[in-house]
This record gives sequence, C-alpha cells and structure tokens, in this order.
Amino acid sequence: MIKNYFIIAWRNLRKNKTFSLINIAGLSIGLACSMLILLYVKDEVSFDRFHKNVNNIYRIVTRSKNRGIEYKDSNTGLLQGPRFAKNVPGIETFVRIQSGTEDIKKGTDIQSQDLLRVDPGFFSVFTFPLLNGNAVTCLAEPNSIVISEDFAKKQFGTTDAIGKIVMLKDNNEFVPFKVTAVAKRYPQNSSVQFDVLLPFKESEADAQNGDNWYSYFLNTFVVLNSKASIETVEKQMQNFYLRDASEAFKQMIAKYGGGAEATMGTYLLQPFTDMHMNTELPAQNGLVNASNPMYSYILSGIAFFILLIACINFVNLTVARSLKRSKEIGIRKVIGSNRKQLIIQFLGESFLLCLIAFSLSLLIVQLILPVFNDLANKALSFSYLFDAKLIAGYLVLFLLTALLAGFYPALVLSGYKPVETLYNRFNLASKNYLQKSLVVLQFALASFLIIATFTIYRQFNFLTKTNLGYDDSNIVEVNKWQMSHSEAAYFKAELLKNPNIVDVASKNGGRWMTGAKLYNDSTISFNYETIDESYIPLLKIPLVEGRNFSQAYPSDSTNSILVNESFVKKAGWKSPIGETVNFFYNNNEIYKVVGVVKDYHYLALNQKIGPQLFTMKNANLYGTFNIKIKPGTETESLKFIQKTFRQYFPLSPYSYIFKDDQRIKDYESEAKWKQIIFFGAILTIFISCIGLFGLSVLSAEKRTKEIGIRKVLGASVNSVVTTLSRDFLKLVLIALVAAIPLAWMAANKWLQNYPYRITLDWWLFAVAGLLVIIVALATVITQAVRAAVANPVKSLRTE
Amino acid sequence: MIKITDLEKIYRTEEVETIALNKLSLEVKEGEFVAIMGPSGCGKSTLLNILGLLDDSDSGSFIFNGVEVSHFNERKRADMRKHNIGFVFQSFNLIDELTVYENVELPLIYTGVKSAERKEMVEKVLDKMKIMHRRNHYPQQLSGGQQQRVAVARAVVNNPKLILADEPTGNLDSANGGEVMELLTDLNEQGTTIIMVTHSEHDAKFSHRIIRMLDGQTVTENILI
Repeated sequence: MIKNYFIIAWRNLRKNKTFSLINIAGLSIGLACSMLILLYVKDEVSFDRFHKNVNNIYRIVTRSKNRGIEYKDSNTGLLQGPRFAKNVPGIETFVRIQSGTEDIKKGTDIQSQDLLRVDPGFFSVFTFPLLNGNAVTCLAEPNSIVISEDFAKKQFGTTDAIGKIVMLKDNNEFVPFKVTAVAKRYPQNSSVQFDVLLPFKESEADAQNGDNWYSYFLNTFVVLNSKASIETVEKQMQNFYLRDASEAFKQMIAKYGGGAEATMGTYLLQPFTDMHMNTELPAQNGLVNASNPMYSYILSGIAFFILLIACINFVNLTVARSLKRSKEIGIRKVIGSNRKQLIIQFLGESFLLCLIAFSLSLLIVQLILPVFNDLANKALSFSYLFDAKLIAGYLVLFLLTALLAGFYPALVLSGYKPVETLYNRFNLASKNYLQKSLVVLQFALASFLIIATFTIYRQFNFLTKTNLGYDDSNIVEVNKWQMSHSEAAYFKAELLKNPNIVDVASKNGGRWMTGAKLYNDSTISFNYETIDESYIPLLKIPLVEGRNFSQAYPSDSTNSILVNESFVKKAGWKSPIGETVNFFYNNNEIYKVVGVVKDYHYLALNQKIGPQLFTMKNANLYGTFNIKIKPGTETESLKFIQKTFRQYFPLSPYSYIFKDDQRIKDYESEAKWKQIIFFGAILTIFISCIGLFGLSVLSAEKRTKEIGIRKVLGASVNSVVTTLSRDFLKLVLIALVAAIPLAWMAANKWLQNYPYRITLDWWLFAVAGLLVIIVALATVITQAVRAAVANPVKSLRTE
Repeated sequence: MIKITDLEKIYRTEEVETIALNKLSLEVKEGEFVAIMGPSGCGKSTLLNILGLLDDSDSGSFIFNGVEVSHFNERKRADMRKHNIGFVFQSFNLIDELTVYENVELPLIYTGVKSAERKEMVEKVLDKMKIMHRRNHYPQQLSGGQQQRVAVARAVVNNPKLILADEPTGNLDSANGGEVMELLTDLNEQGTTIIMVTHSEHDAKFSHRIIRMLDGQTVTENILI
C-alpha cells in the first residue's frame, strides 16, 4: 500500500512539474529561513552555557534610587568581589574582569591591543581550555601574560609560546611580560572573549579604601556553593554591605549630594547566562556580544511569515488542483478506498514534497550561511546543524510543515463524493472562500513587510544623511591618548605646514560624562568635552551667544566653559553668559560660561541631544586629533599625517578613520536590519507571487469553456484579460486594506525607539501598495493573456 | 440477491426539487443479467449509483444479499462495496498515473490482499482479458477497447458477486463494444450477477431481462431468457 502511495505521489509530482516546482521552491525557502532562525535562536540561548560551573556563576549587580530615579548597574568597584567572598558563606570564590587597551610593541611596530585584567582564579571559574600552561598559576605573577592561540600565531608564528616575551606599555614605557599560558580560541557564543589576559592590578591601599564601594568600572563574578540559596546569599551580601559601607556612603553623600531619598542601593546576583539577552543589565564593559531578545522575535516572525506563506501556497494550489484529481478520488472510493486511506495517501504526497523541499533547504542553508552570518553578526558554521537538539528541532519543523501544508487539502480531497466527481456534478465554488482568504493573508503579509522595508530604509537614510548640525566632511580622526596641550600644539603646527591640511583641532578621547552643581545647588549631568580653540570653527558648530575659546583670554585655559543650548535649558538660565557651574567633586572649582553653541548631534541620532559642556582647561589631556583636509587629497594627506604622527609619537599606535565613515559605523545595526527585512520582504513577495501564478494558471484552465464562449460572443482580448485578472486584483486590494493600518501601527511603534525620526507620510503606504498591485498584476497577466488569445474552438471542442 | 422496495431519491436545490426515483421497486436474482433502459433523466444512473452503494436513498428499503443497507453510513457502504461489487463505466475511469497492472491491482490493495497473492490474481485476470501484453502501459497509451478491458479486469479481479455497468460500450465502436459485451456475458455465465444501464437495444439483448424506466419508475419489464 505504502509503495503504491509513493509511486503515485512521485508520478503526480513529475506530471505536474510547474506546481511541484512552485511548492518545492516556496517550501524550501521557508524551511531554509526557519532553519537559519532556529540556528540563530539556539546560538542566542546557548550563550555562555559551555562553562562547567555555569549554573553557579553569578554577576554582582546593583539596584539603587536617587532623586526618584531607579538605577540598575552591572558594574562594580574593586571591593565587592574580595569582601563578599570573604564574608558571605555561600560564596566560594570570585573573579573580577576589567577591560582595557594597551599598546603592544613588536619590533618597531606598535599596535593598540584590547585586553582583560582578571583575578588569578579566572580559569577556575570559567572554562577556557589551555593549549599549554598551568591554569592555576598562569596569572599568579604580576608580569605574566596569557594569550590566545590566534594572538600567539600572530605575534610569534606559533602556539608554542610559553616563556616568550610580549612588550606591553605600562605607565608610559614598554615593559616585558612573560607568556605563561596559551588559551584555545574562545567559543563564538561567549560573552567573555579575549586575546590577552593580564593579572588584575590592585594596590593594598585601594583594597582598604572604603570609597571603592562606589566606583563602578569592572565586572565582578562570584561562584556560589551548589547548595546555597540565591535569596539567602543576596540577603547576606546586603547585610554585610550595609555594615561595611555605611561610613563610605555617608562621605559620598556629603561630598556629592544625593537628595533626600538617596539610598545605599541593593546588591543582587544576576545569573551568568542571563547577561547575553538582558537589555537592562547587558554584557558590557569588556564583555561582548550583548544581544536583545527582540532580534530573535523579529527573525522568528519573519521566518514564520515566510514558511506560512509557502504552506498557504501549498494548500491553495492543492485544493485548486483538486478538480483535476476529483475523478481519481471518485474512482478510488468506488473501488474500495475509505476516507482514512485517502487522507494517508494525500498526506504522503505532502510529506514527499516536503522531504524534497527539506533536502533542498539544507543545501540552501549551507550556501547562504556566510551571508546570514554577516547580516546577523554571528559566526555560525554548518557543523552547528549537526547538533542533536537542533536535528530534533529540524525534524519537528519538517513534520509540522508537512502536516500544516498537507492536512487541510487531504481532508478536503478525501471528502469528495464519488457520485459527484464521476458524473461531473462537482463544483469547487463553495471551497473558494478559504482559498481567497489565504491569498489575502499572503499578500497582507507581503505588503506588511514591504511597508516595513520602506520605513526602515527611510529611517536609515535619515540617520545617515541628516544634517548633524556640524560639518563632518573631509575630517580625519586620529587617536593619541593622554596628550598634553603642548604636544598637541606642536603636532598641529607641523601638520599645518602641509597645504593639503586645512585645520587641526584637538579633543579628549572617548566620551566623558560627569556632573556639576548649579547656582541653586541642584546638580546637572552633562557630556564633558575638552577641546582647543579650533574645534568649534573646524566643525562649523554655530555659536548662538557669547564667543568661542581663544588664546587671547588666559582664563579660557583655566575656568572658561562653553555650553550647548540643551545645557542652558536644563539649567534654567535666561542669560547664560557669565553663569557659573561648580565642579564639586574637583575641589569645588568654579567655571564661567563664555559662550553658548547651538545644539548639534554629537552622538548617534538614536540618542537624544543632552546637555554638553566644553572646557579648554590645560590640566585635562587630549586624546583625538580632528584633521580637516582638502577634498581630493586623501591619499597624499593620509600619507603625510601618518608620517608626521610616527615622527612625533613613535611609541604610540597609529590608526585613523574618516569622521563621516564613523557615522555609518554608528548605524551598523540599523544597516543590517535593513538588509534582513529587505530580504524577508523579497522572499515573501516572491513566494506569494509564485503561488498567485499557480492559481492564475488553474483559474484560466478552469474557465476555459467560459473564455471560449465569451470570445465566440465577441469579447476582445482586453476584456477577457480584465475578467480573469479582476478577481485576483480584488483580493490584493483587500489585503492592502488589511495590512496598511497594521503596518502603520508597527512602524510607528518601532520609530518610537528613535528620538529623531521620519514621519510616516501617506505616500509611503501608497507606493508600497502600488508596488504590490503591480507585482501581482504582472504575475497573473501572462496567464490571462495566454488564455485570452487561445483559439476558442479548441476549448469548446474539449468541453 | 437484490430487493428494492419503494425506493425514493429526490435532488433538491434552492429553487428546484427533482424526483429521480419515485417509489421504485425491483428484484434481481443471483446470477441474473439485467439491462436497464430509458430516456435521459429517467433515473437509471441514480438507480445504478444506489445499487452500487455510491449514493443513499431518501426513503425505501434496499436489501443486498439479505442485508438491509439503505441506512448504512459511508464507511459501511464502502466496506460492502469493495468486497461485493465491481464497476464498469462508460468513460472507463482508469487512473492515468497508474499502469494497467497497477490499476487492476488497486482493488486488491484496498481489500488487504497480500502481495504474492495479488500478483497471481492480477496476472490471471489480465490474461483472461487478453491484455497481459500491455501490463506496463499507461491508460493513455491504450485504445478505447483496451482501456475498457482493463476496466472490466479491475471490476472482476476481486471476484465480486455483482457487476454494475454504466453504458459500458458507450465510448466504443461496434467491434470493441461487441468484445466487451462478450466479456460480460462470459462473466455472467460463470455466475456473476450483472446489472447494466444502456441506451443500446443491441447490447440489451445480451441480458436476461430488460427493465425500462420513465420518470423515476419502472414501466415495463421484458424477460428475454
């Protein structure tokens, strides 16, 4: 019996090649997308689970309240790890991880290297196998260094690097560090990734200084006893903290203020495996690959849409083709088949088709995995597919798809009465509502995704092309950390000797945030920039009041400040020039406002402009040069800048980026999502269209007699084409009416994530709708024209 | 073998009610060859469908082999049908995706006959129908006469007690039609009961009895043998 079912299923597939291909194409694309998303989601949820101790590893985090605002922080200071480990019984050990960047010298070449400073117990807490070296002692000595196998190959050409020396900058001179261990490459699904590990540096004075309860700059992890209860440990931690830090807390409040409701905060334990997808307490500050569960949801939604549309195609085409198979069904019933046997037969055909599609989808996954990795920022390999849980997942996916696609047609086809099918009394008309609804659903989904694509495209273009309020064209940014003002001035003077260099401005490196007190003793937080007098004019940032910094005013190098409009607004100043701010944490230094700049987007556009304060204070060090070059002189200018940099700063690594390229980098995530949604929309519309194509072929065949009669009675080709296309066009219009409001709501909600965003103009929806209609019409019109030009004599003779 | 009493079948649409069978009564003995004739729309195909348990009646009694079947549900009718009744249609109704061998084998699959036994039975009946040499061909590769012989082979492979033939020679020329009628006659002589609907007086003469119908009722009955 099974052999008979298989034979007829195979022969049916071969006989109806067009429909088989449509179904196989759609299902294989849908299955491939689902497989990729399963791979992605599995990787996301499997993050960090490779550590042996993982169920007992927790990160220390805090929850506190100040001036009515609740804060959560995943960073701690120096003290929490050692003091909790010593005084809380449930904690067995701890390890701190502090991120940093140091210069590494190899011969005459100096490169900047990201690294982690960790406690000696690092390898006993985390499972990172070593190729060689002793996991217990490798970080015991102050000048020991642990490197990854990739770093070892890059630095020494071999992983046999024990005892070799790495010259690392420490306190402005290069100091030898001895390689004590070489670690295997970290797994790609790890929040802790390193090429270089150094022992944690901590002086005895720091370890005793109670103020260090309130410095937040590193991650602290603890390992609990497997029998310990988290709630009990948290309580014990909190009790200890309240006793040990009470004095330090009082001093901090006295120094910095804190409002009536300032509390000491609460210490909590975050499970290690929670970090990767926790958006409030993410993996950051030296930990990497922080993610957002929203990505998994969106990708799963897209994959589900695509697979659903492919299944809808299968259902629609199978039911629509049932007219051709109705006679076969009648014959089978006449000669003895019962309904159950027919259901099994048709399900078998669905399974066979899905099996072919499934096999093809494995091939598709292998082919497009590199592209997917790039889009999704992953490093998944095909071998990941051979995971027991994933294979089980894929089998379930295959079975569910075959059932979802095949069950309804099997149910419908097996229900046909032999008397009706054998004596041509069969009429599919009553089944059409479901078919039409499914077409509407397909095109509604496709329209939704197209509108989403347009929205994301427009928002992305807005982010990358909008006027930032300053001029970032032809500006090269070169980093040089810890640079004095005099060093910067010498370098600038040398650069300006070249006629291709228009101007040079200096700024602090990185991004600083701090706070100060105002006249009414309120505090204000702001973005804090140390600049020179060239910075504002080089970037063409407009001044709205007062003046820029100038060497002509000695006070500008000590206590003059510029602020932006947002600062003035937040401070509530009516006449900002002459107003003062108190840097209370810095011996209550008073600074006076000499100028106000217009608000400009100093951060990426997905963040709101906040208060900003500029100083030209001599004591603050610079970290970046902004070098404006003449357009068209990039090659020569970059060569000259590099040569001059190496001449002035031979012990510093050189790297550069064009400021407007940095802007594009800021929106890498948006760029990737733009592509993902775009591909999703293309696939959706493609599968919907091939389904519509199949239906239009069947519709034309079903109406052969009607078309023949119409033509005999005088209908033109145009009129026949219109008659055949009109029904499908109606369905597409209904789909648009359903999709547009939903798409508007979803797009609007997504845009709320951006403080600066596009407006959803009506024409965006109109263009998307028009595109869907044109694509749908183009799909059906070929079949309609073919049917319209056919010889009516042939079609009537057939009847 | 068959006893029908006051059988009624009415087709209803939203506006029209058509009485296909109007309190029809009929008896067919085992081993008989009965021809049913009448103009188009007289109800003969409806009668054949009910006799073949393909359709149910609205009222009346239908006793098949001593069993009252008029109230059988679809599952029971299918079960009774596959073990007892073979069908031969005017348009052959072979499955195009199956070969001659596979078409004839199909009823045996549905009755659960084992593979080796199926082979023996199919080959025997193909041989009898003189169509063995075309066993691996598909229906569209055969002539009309050959297709009908395959259809007859399929109808008899399960050794049914009753064969229902609906215009078996309607799509055939006289030579092929004659061959098919001879096949049916041979089967009847071996004990199979045959009820045949036909427009052809010539074909009707092969039967033992001709029943003529009009407007859902029998009007005359001619006994030939």
